[in-house]
Amino acid sequence: MDKSTIVCRCEEINIDEIESAIKMGAHTFDDIKRITRCGMGPCQAKICTTLVQRIISEYTDKPLSDIGPSRMRMPLKLTRIGVLAGNKESSSVISVFSESASKEGETKND
Amino acid sequence: METDLLIIGGGPAGLNAAYEAASHGIETLVIEESFSMGGQLRQQTQVLDKLPKQFEKQRGTTLARTLIEKLSTLNVKVLLKHTMIGTYQDGRIGVSNGVKTIPITAKRIIVTTGAAEEASVFPGWTLPGVMTIGAAQILMNREYVQPGKNALVLGSNTFSLEIVKQFKEMGVTVRGIIESNSELISKHEKIIKSIKKDGIPLYLNSYIENATGVGEVQKVTLNHNGITEEMNIDLVCIGKGVAPILEPFEIMNCSFTYQIRLGGWVPQYSISMETSSPSAYIAGNAAGITSMGGILLTGQLAAVSVAESLGFLNEKLATEKRASLWKELHCIETTADLREVFNARMALIKDYHEEANLLPSSLFDLSLEEC
Repeated sequence: MDKSTIVCRCEEINIDEIESAIKMGAHTFDDIKRITRCGMGPCQAKICTTLVQRIISEYTDKPLSDIGPSRMRMPLKLTRIGVLAGNKESSSVISVFSESASKEGETKND
Repeated sequence: METDLLIIGGGPAGLNAAYEAASHGIETLVIEESFSMGGQLRQQTQVLDKLPKQFEKQRGTTLARTLIEKLSTLNVKVLLKHTMIGTYQDGRIGVSNGVKTIPITAKRIIVTTGAAEEASVFPGWTLPGVMTIGAAQILMNREYVQPGKNALVLGSNTFSLEIVKQFKEMGVTVRGIIESNSELISKHEKIIKSIKKDGIPLYLNSYIENATGVGEVQKVTLNHNGITEEMNIDLVCIGKGVAPILEPFEIMNCSFTYQIRLGGWVPQYSISMETSSPSAYIAGNAAGITSMGGILLTGQLAAVSVAESLGFLNEKLATEKRASLWKELHCIETTADLREVFNARMALIKDYHEEANLLPSSLFDLSLEEC
């Protein structure tokens, strides 16, 4: 297939870019994502995850069951930042960002 | 906000689970991200047979109304246009309605997020006019829009073939069904026979080389057994099957396993439909791709287990109820030609019981003669 074929529509990442990332040692969807931005657009990898996993599987000759699901993070859907932090009622919602929030930030808002 | 039971997803599995749970007196809250309940049933105009015995044979759209109406007299609260966006460290679920985020404290959670259609890559697949087969169904049945005039369908599972039948009724000419394997994926003899009778070309061992067009798809090059053919096409439907939606399970730290027959990566669960995350249960297509009968029954199974764990049903009654539901599920999934799905489901549950040191269940040995 033409290597310029788009795989991630949101970030316009093509097969060639994904295969180059695999050549560099990427072996999971998350590796590809870190190197290429694949899956980081508005759809948040909802379309391309399995497509990329299939490319990895074909390129490395590994079964899909060895490739593993991607790491899914909060917020699970496109969410306005104001919804998370803007109004008084939802100010405690800082812990939705627990993975990135600092200890101090958490205690201050708890 | 507080509730005994939070159900994430107002599709058939969630609604049936809500009915079962609320009938036992459990205070139930359903959140649904769409503007109405019913999930995929809202565009399923085909008659669904092989439903659980309490349901008559009916159209999907009717079944959606039936399920919603059944809830009207019960203690069920529904929040439409509300989406789960995460969890708090104390286990509360963060739900957003686009204006604010509401933390929900629930004693038990049933996740029925269903499944998403898979895409397929070929040069030109991002052109307008290329869509999933489910998108074409939504356009026809929900939006009353004809998705195109000359269509190619990529993939030959039963769902794709059902839509091909509908295309004919809607005046869409199907120029071919393309399957990369050497035989059709669907084993539904009645539909296959009728498709063949309609004279719709079946291209086995075939694939789309590319789709081209200015602003939209206009031409498709087909590779059929090594011979290429160019066709004037304005609609390409990708029917490559569906996979469970996993995000909420991952956020709740559920463990996963790979079962190709269930749609790929699936959360692990027990015979009670309980996941590896404390007080979180699973049902519907999220627990493995199945038929409407399986979707409804797993919803009911999860609710029975929730009722037991909250003390609304005693152990003996719950075990009996679960056994009869599993038997019904077994019969439906076997006769609906989903035997491999049922076996994969049982293998998943058995593995999980062993890994998590749960008691083995006598239900692992359901035999065919009982149907």
